[in-house]
Amino acid sequence: MTETTNDPSLIERVAGLFHRPGRSILNFFEHLGRYMSIIGWMLYNFRNAKEYSGNIMQQMVMIGNNSIPIVLFVSMFVGMVTSVQSSYQLYDWIPRSVVGALVTKSVLLELTPLLTALVLAGKVGATITAELGTMRVTEQIDALEALAFDPVSFLITPRVLAGILMFPILVIFGDLVAILGGMFGASVIAGIPVEAFVDGMQSSFETWDAFFGIIKATVFGFIITSVSCYQGFQVQGGSEGVGKATMNSVVVTCLSVVVMDFVLASVLL
Amino acid sequence: MIQLTNIWKRFGEKQVHQGVNLEVRDHETLVILGRSGGGKSVLLKMIIGLLKPDSGSIVVDGKEVTTLTYKQLQRLRFKFGFLFQGAALFDSMTVGQNIELALRRHSDFKDADIEERVQYALELVKLKNVEQLMPSNISGGMKKRVGLARAIALTPKYMLYDEPTTGLDVETADGINLLINELKTTLGVTSIVVTHDIHSAFVIGDRFAIFENGQFIMTGTKDDIRNSPNPEVRKYIESEIET
Repeated sequence: MTETTNDPSLIERVAGLFHRPGRSILNFFEHLGRYMSIIGWMLYNFRNAKEYSGNIMQQMVMIGNNSIPIVLFVSMFVGMVTSVQSSYQLYDWIPRSVVGALVTKSVLLELTPLLTALVLAGKVGATITAELGTMRVTEQIDALEALAFDPVSFLITPRVLAGILMFPILVIFGDLVAILGGMFGASVIAGIPVEAFVDGMQSSFETWDAFFGIIKATVFGFIITSVSCYQGFQVQGGSEGVGKATMNSVVVTCLSVVVMDFVLASVLL
Repeated sequence: MIQLTNIWKRFGEKQVHQGVNLEVRDHETLVILGRSGGGKSVLLKMIIGLLKPDSGSIVVDGKEVTTLTYKQLQRLRFKFGFLFQGAALFDSMTVGQNIELALRRHSDFKDADIEERVQYALELVKLKNVEQLMPSNISGGMKKRVGLARAIALTPKYMLYDEPTTGLDVETADGINLLINELKTTLGVTSIVVTHDIHSAFVIGDRFAIFENGQFIMTGTKDDIRNSPNPEVRKYIESEIET
């Protein structure tokens, strides 16, 4: 007796196993290629940037000025919690001044640049993607092209430039406030005298640490603004497409920032 | 003159154009009629190089659009004004800034001249004192008029209209039709109008092209269309009678 069955063969099942990951990999490289193509076009036409200086200023206000309150708020609490937790963890083991050194090093090298980037990936990145995505679905980007404008130079270059310029400035402000927050947390909550905190801070401070944080902020600023612009440009469909692209933008920028954080630390430290 | 020859275009699985041929003569208003979502607007976007056909030729004033460099394409676009379906006004700019944007970028006009041109464009579309308003604060009909003013600000040779009366009430739609006719007389532009509104089409069109299943099934004058025995064409005539 022969048995008939509709079950897929072993080869089909094995092929099926590779189908989804294969498509995801292809999809990833397709997006990477398109992203690189837009970045390449932006760099190739960089000389046009001066013609859109008004747009650059407008974006610097949006990305920089409008983000100051949230960056300062987050930095203040990051500084406070770092000092309180390090005091708690190391209280019996180390001199009190070490808390000042620890807070300063952590804040300058890692915490402020990374957390500022993650917060701004949500705030700035989502805004850029939603804005450009809406322009895409309402044909405003097509209208720009129809009016003989280069949409990359007009829309993307000013945002990326503003990101590169403003992220480091935000991080410098964030560093200052985080250290003040750390000092406040150390003295008020952990009972460490301000003098001891300042001693530790001064003895451990190295200009390179602050400079490294600024390099990171510049790279993060580029990643967040360029990826968000790309996601906005690629929107298809209506409001659903805009929502999906905005979510993708936040996820991709956060992941990229975390990965690049590790790469920069490995290469530069 | 604009000439489209054997245009093929596919989006994913959907073959949108299957060997489209079309000729647009100077100073005429050609109306492309067809179902929504059939690929009529894509034709307009291909004419100004916003989209590329998979194969075929698009010639504008003797230049093959599909092989132009980016710079050449930008220069060609100066010849065109494009009224988008939803007007596509830049919502972060005022009405005045929308109209003057291309003038500031592509002309050597001084501020006073630009202001004068903006006023002239607004006069042509019968709008007054709206320069400072934001697009979100004006009606759908006004948006179309502002879109039209923006399109004509650089005095184009060709006007492309994508569903100019869709979503408008009858009275406002009639106003837009009247404007399209007036712009033709005042500026002497050659126009291509994409619409599924047969009533508007017969008010503004000199010639008509019926687009069905990725091809033009008929091209001709109002009388040619009205007297056509083709059942696909008759559907449009019957819909006109019903309205």
